[in-house]
Amino acid sequence: MGALVLAGALALVGITPAQPPDQPSGKGTPTKVALRRITESQYRHTIADVFGPGIKINARFEPEKRVEGLLAIGSAQLSVTSSGFEQYFALASSISDQVLDEKQRATSVPCKPSNPTQADDACGRRFIEAYGERLFRRPLTESETLARLKTASTGAKQAGDFYAGLKLALTSLLVAPEFIFRVETAEPDPANRSQYRLDAYSKAARVSFLLWDSAPDQELLNAARSGAIHTRAGLHQQLTRLTSSPRFEDGVRAFFTDMLQLDDLDNVVKDPTIYPKFNQSVSDSAKEQTLRTTVDLLVNKKRDYRDLFTSNDTFINRPLASVYRIPFASSGDWAPYTFPQSSERSGILTQVSFLSLFAHPGSSSPTKRGIKIYEIFMCLPTPNPPADVDFSRVQDSTKATIRGRLLDHMSNPGCSGCHMRSDPPGLALEHFDGLGQLRTMENGAMIDVSADIYGVKLVGAQGLGKFLHDDPRVPACLVRNVYAYGAGRATGAQDGDYLSNQTKAFASDGYRLPDLMVQIASSPEFFKVVVPTGVQHPPSATTAATVPLQKSGGVRQ
Amino acid sequence: MTKEAPIRRHLIATAVAAIALAFPGSAAPQQLSPSAKWTKTYVVEWNEPAMYYGAKTGVTDPGTDCPNGTNPSPDWIQVLVDAGYTLEEAKWLRNPANPTRSPVHGQNQMAFRGKDRANVYINPTSTPDPGLTPVSGTIAEGLNLDDDENTGFTSPTGEKGIDNNFYKALGCWKTYRGPHRLSSGALTFNDAMRDGAWTTVIVVAGEGADPMNDDHVKVGFYMSNDKMVKDGLGNIARDYTFRIAPNAKYEGILPARTSNGRIVSTVPADIMLRDPSYTWDLELLRARLNLEMKSDGSLTGYVGGYRPWEPVYRGWVNARGTVIEVLTWVQLPAVYYALRRYADYSPTGPGGEKTHISYALRVDALPAFVMAPDGTKEVATVESYKAIAPKEPPRPALPFQIVDGIVPDPTGKYQAGPHAVILPPRASSDARQ
Amino acid sequence: MNFPFNRRSFLRGMINGTAVCVALPVLNRFLNGSGTAYADGTKLPVRFGTYFWGLGLTDTPTGGTRWVPSKTGYGYEIMPELESLKPVKDKVSVFSGFRVIGDGRPNLVHWSGHASILSGVAPAAADRFDGPSFDSKVADAIGTATRFKVIDIDASASRQPVSYSTRTGTTFAMPETTPLVLYQRLFGSAFQDPNSDDWKPDPSIMLRQSVLSAVEDQRQALMAGVGKDDQVRLDQYFTSVREMENQLAMQLQKPEHCQACVVPTAPKDTPRSATVDAVRANTKALAKLLAMGLACNQTRVFNFVHTAGISETYIAGESKIYHQITHDEPIDATLGYQPETSRLAGLVMQAFGDFLIELDAVKEGAGTVLDNSLIMAFSDTGYAKIHSIENIPMFLAGRAGGRHKAGQHVHTTGESVTRVSLTAQQLVGVPVGEFGTGSMRTARPITEIMG
Repeated sequence: MGALVLAGALALVGITPAQPPDQPSGKGTPTKVALRRITESQYRHTIADVFGPGIKINARFEPEKRVEGLLAIGSAQLSVTSSGFEQYFALASSISDQVLDEKQRATSVPCKPSNPTQADDACGRRFIEAYGERLFRRPLTESETLARLKTASTGAKQAGDFYAGLKLALTSLLVAPEFIFRVETAEPDPANRSQYRLDAYSKAARVSFLLWDSAPDQELLNAARSGAIHTRAGLHQQLTRLTSSPRFEDGVRAFFTDMLQLDDLDNVVKDPTIYPKFNQSVSDSAKEQTLRTTVDLLVNKKRDYRDLFTSNDTFINRPLASVYRIPFASSGDWAPYTFPQSSERSGILTQVSFLSLFAHPGSSSPTKRGIKIYEIFMCLPTPNPPADVDFSRVQDSTKATIRGRLLDHMSNPGCSGCHMRSDPPGLALEHFDGLGQLRTMENGAMIDVSADIYGVKLVGAQGLGKFLHDDPRVPACLVRNVYAYGAGRATGAQDGDYLSNQTKAFASDGYRLPDLMVQIASSPEFFKVVVPTGVQHPPSATTAATVPLQKSGGVRQ
Repeated sequence: MTKEAPIRRHLIATAVAAIALAFPGSAAPQQLSPSAKWTKTYVVEWNEPAMYYGAKTGVTDPGTDCPNGTNPSPDWIQVLVDAGYTLEEAKWLRNPANPTRSPVHGQNQMAFRGKDRANVYINPTSTPDPGLTPVSGTIAEGLNLDDDENTGFTSPTGEKGIDNNFYKALGCWKTYRGPHRLSSGALTFNDAMRDGAWTTVIVVAGEGADPMNDDHVKVGFYMSNDKMVKDGLGNIARDYTFRIAPNAKYEGILPARTSNGRIVSTVPADIMLRDPSYTWDLELLRARLNLEMKSDGSLTGYVGGYRPWEPVYRGWVNARGTVIEVLTWVQLPAVYYALRRYADYSPTGPGGEKTHISYALRVDALPAFVMAPDGTKEVATVESYKAIAPKEPPRPALPFQIVDGIVPDPTGKYQAGPHAVILPPRASSDARQ
Repeated sequence: MNFPFNRRSFLRGMINGTAVCVALPVLNRFLNGSGTAYADGTKLPVRFGTYFWGLGLTDTPTGGTRWVPSKTGYGYEIMPELESLKPVKDKVSVFSGFRVIGDGRPNLVHWSGHASILSGVAPAAADRFDGPSFDSKVADAIGTATRFKVIDIDASASRQPVSYSTRTGTTFAMPETTPLVLYQRLFGSAFQDPNSDDWKPDPSIMLRQSVLSAVEDQRQALMAGVGKDDQVRLDQYFTSVREMENQLAMQLQKPEHCQACVVPTAPKDTPRSATVDAVRANTKALAKLLAMGLACNQTRVFNFVHTAGISETYIAGESKIYHQITHDEPIDATLGYQPETSRLAGLVMQAFGDFLIELDAVKEGAGTVLDNSLIMAFSDTGYAKIHSIENIPMFLAGRAGGRHKAGQHVHTTGESVTRVSLTAQQLVGVPVGEFGTGSMRTARPITEIMG
């Protein structure tokens, strides 16, 4: 069976890689190695890019799923529920209405119909192919085009209006799975027929979503069409173009929104009797503060990534200033601000975003904060609490501070194993309450913020910031996250050497994020094909030709 | 907000001075602008006239201040009859169903109750004093404005000599009477202020080392164009930043001293503040203040003086006399007479016309950051900004025009006035104006 | 695209001469193989729903129980945490002593309990079920004749919307979380008033159908070369497309009159809050809309989440959240249970009482919507302090059109929760003979309560 299929694959030698995938023949067909639902921000960016920023998008997007720390990994596990599809459908109709509005159509339709009250296949085709390529992120197949042409002409006939037909065709493009899901396709590698590589359009999409959080623009699509993206020089040219653009900021924002889990800020609730200053404006501002800080430090100033934990250069607006208890010295909306030493703040660990996200509605939570510090910045997830913890032996503590009560509970051996690990970083942040406000006393007692992290003793947020700055696992975790985010899959033991080499390069380059992204995106590993199980296709070979064929595995490009 | 200026500043200043002395010819570097040792800054979150509610329950109940409770609503039909209208005319005018009575602006003809149907709103003495029941109690909040313990009320905490004739005259009137924060007037104006209509900030600055006990303190009241923000419980949120907006009129600076956290003004001065009322201008002659810096960081107390009483009356009239009378249960001429009767101060001296009346404003303020007018740094001292204030913009126009205390309807068939025909003509005749 | 349906497969239910909402013609495409979705033409359409709340009810190993009645059978006494059920006691059956049997799989806290109840098997990982939730089977059986096959609701104001309804085990439904959003889904622009006199078929619907057919045509091409897991996800996507097609097809027919249906007015938007009181108010408002949505035949199946398994609710002003209290609070030596936790459990049950009362408030035929429904209510755990999956509280509310002999307390020692799940499915006419896997596999429904 394997030989037959392999023979079929070899028979495809004649196919040039730039052609779009053909109808399935059952033999050596391009393999779809991943199906990732695009995120809300990717959807919005794409629509703005393709149809202009004036298109209004008002819909509920289905919730995303965080897997191994990243929504980007979870996107490969999501589908579309019927309620979600209703939303996409209504949104697609609304966008089509706006694009083909009488005032808009002069700019949005590249040709004029011969009779505006009737179907016009020639003009319809031009419209469908142009937008289809941008939305599907690759040229449409003939059958895909014909299906939409049929819809367009049915609609034009029924309504007596060419543009009504186009609206329907565009709607069907916008609800198609090829738009809503990033379909990553692998094709036989022309240099080595027994191996697979990501096809050019899939590569273009990976690069574009990583660096601009949006679908490939026309220039990038052309680099895919010509095959330039398969070459070192061609790829490098695109990477340089994308990272030099102001749109690179969008990509960095999307990355850090995912890594720092800032998307949850939309849904944080706080108890107004305990934290009256909190409101939606504060949580929106908190997210913006962290993103501005990160972009300014890492992209505009090209500083060392580790400075995020120690540098107190940031941005604030008026609502945040009231939470931080500082004056807001600007007539604009946002102003740069540097926290003094005395504020005890230390980089993003002590911004309202992190502190309020990982806390309770009415109090801080050293445990939550500790767990997230390990998970987000050191890529060390914490196992779930065991079900058989004997809570009957947990004594009610009378200590005044949360720290005191946690330490009392830790005397229970069933709990101490995890808590002794997860709590200390959070304990160092206890001078910041559940909203992120500085407080040094709790119930009349001074809060002790000393912590012992596996023998490393530190005090307070600034001590913790320095700890994270100096720990080599921190930059290694960023490297892992950039890779996992861009490639859209969890990393494992097999990626160890690659990630370790990338981390060394990151370090010797001064820990600069833009260079890291380019470095990773230009490495062959970034486009590595991992064929999923259950595909009735020639399985991919591993990198070394001498290793026997396995059921599934990685292939180098 | 408290801020301690670093000692360093004084050392530098001394060093600079020393250098200037040692090298007489050298160009002395610019002196640092004088700043206080400490500042505490606030935003006013509630202000209302100092009153005293003498009942134990409710908002209008009988009490020691007003034994019969809040002044009841006048019988408007009787008022019109007393003014010379026939009973039939009076009933017709008061009937909400009749076409001359506007559901929004009231019955304009009510204005014309004076002699020869003069407009009593603009000419209150054209009608005899209807008599506004004054306060008959002996307790009032406020300040001792004349340093005389024998004139005036006793404060709720026992201090004698509280001069507050404004309260005496008007304290039983519905719009002013009630427990703290519950009188209808206080609610109306403070709701508007807290929703962004205006913002007043207070800066307290001192020379000494201890803000709680300092003999050299200044208190400044300023306006800001930054709106207050409400928190999750509906209260004004603390710690917001407000930039001083220099104002040619509304600014008040008083010298004071602090003692155990209480700020008491030392020398009276004339100031003008933004009044929480339709009048807007709160001129206070010989103003004083007494404010407490509380342990929770807030500030509460009184600022008072002698305010001109006629603008108070005019303020109510210009808010549509017809509406104010009915909503607040008062005959406006009675307010005029009452204020005139109890006015107790003449700016020209003891013999002069008493154009002013003793008054205090109760103020509650929360900690806030206050920035100097250019917005780049916090205020470090209390000083006047009137010189750099822009020309005052006109008061925002209302969607309707108020003329002489009523809102005439230029397109209306019926026009209120001294010669208006009140009752509709019988079916046969046709005498509409 | 043509839907070959005919109106002969039409049912009309009449009770005592009062017309009630009737089934719409069933599209051949969606009938199950045996065609027994409508068992008996004279029976009323029954509704089914799940109702979930987190953190269980109080029943401690040391002896204090605040919810298990001492009497079994009819006439069980109202226990302290069940006070809110008093007004509808005769329509609610209580099930105690049922447990999850993990067959060696660890108890995944705040997950294994309800995952087992819904999917019949203890899951291997804490973010998935190892099988579809059985409400999807019910939806397939009785939900194909309404505009929506199923409506999912989450009242909890949690960080992430909560739903435990899944066909694949990995993707869960997207619930409506506020009254306004639920209103827009049920009664918004796409709603067709069944009692309106001037209904006209909307020609644009056929155009929208053509949009979807262009998508469906590409299905084969897309599925080629797709891995197993991705196929499952694409299947779900295409199922969603077909459900939309079904909705559009429904909208092409004049809906039958529904005497019980009274179109409500749009609710106001309320600020989001996760306090116990706010979540209770949200539950009540959502229940009211849901009840009318059922009466207007917009759906027959629903899933309602009051609070998540890891509930985030709290009493306003207190710094500890309910979940933390279940673990922190010691057992009172005299009382034998945790008093504050029990109080909170009672407050949470108030919302369930409100929910049932809203369904009972809509008259339908000779009874109410509640009489014509079956709601299975359950939690993630029994004794929350120790994440126990023994004695998980379960209820069946509503008379299921008469098939449920309600008002009984059924007690067992150590039987599987799947028996209740199986009973629920059979009561609403799902053609199943057994439910569950391994030690939780059962073919024995609880016949005492079946009519």
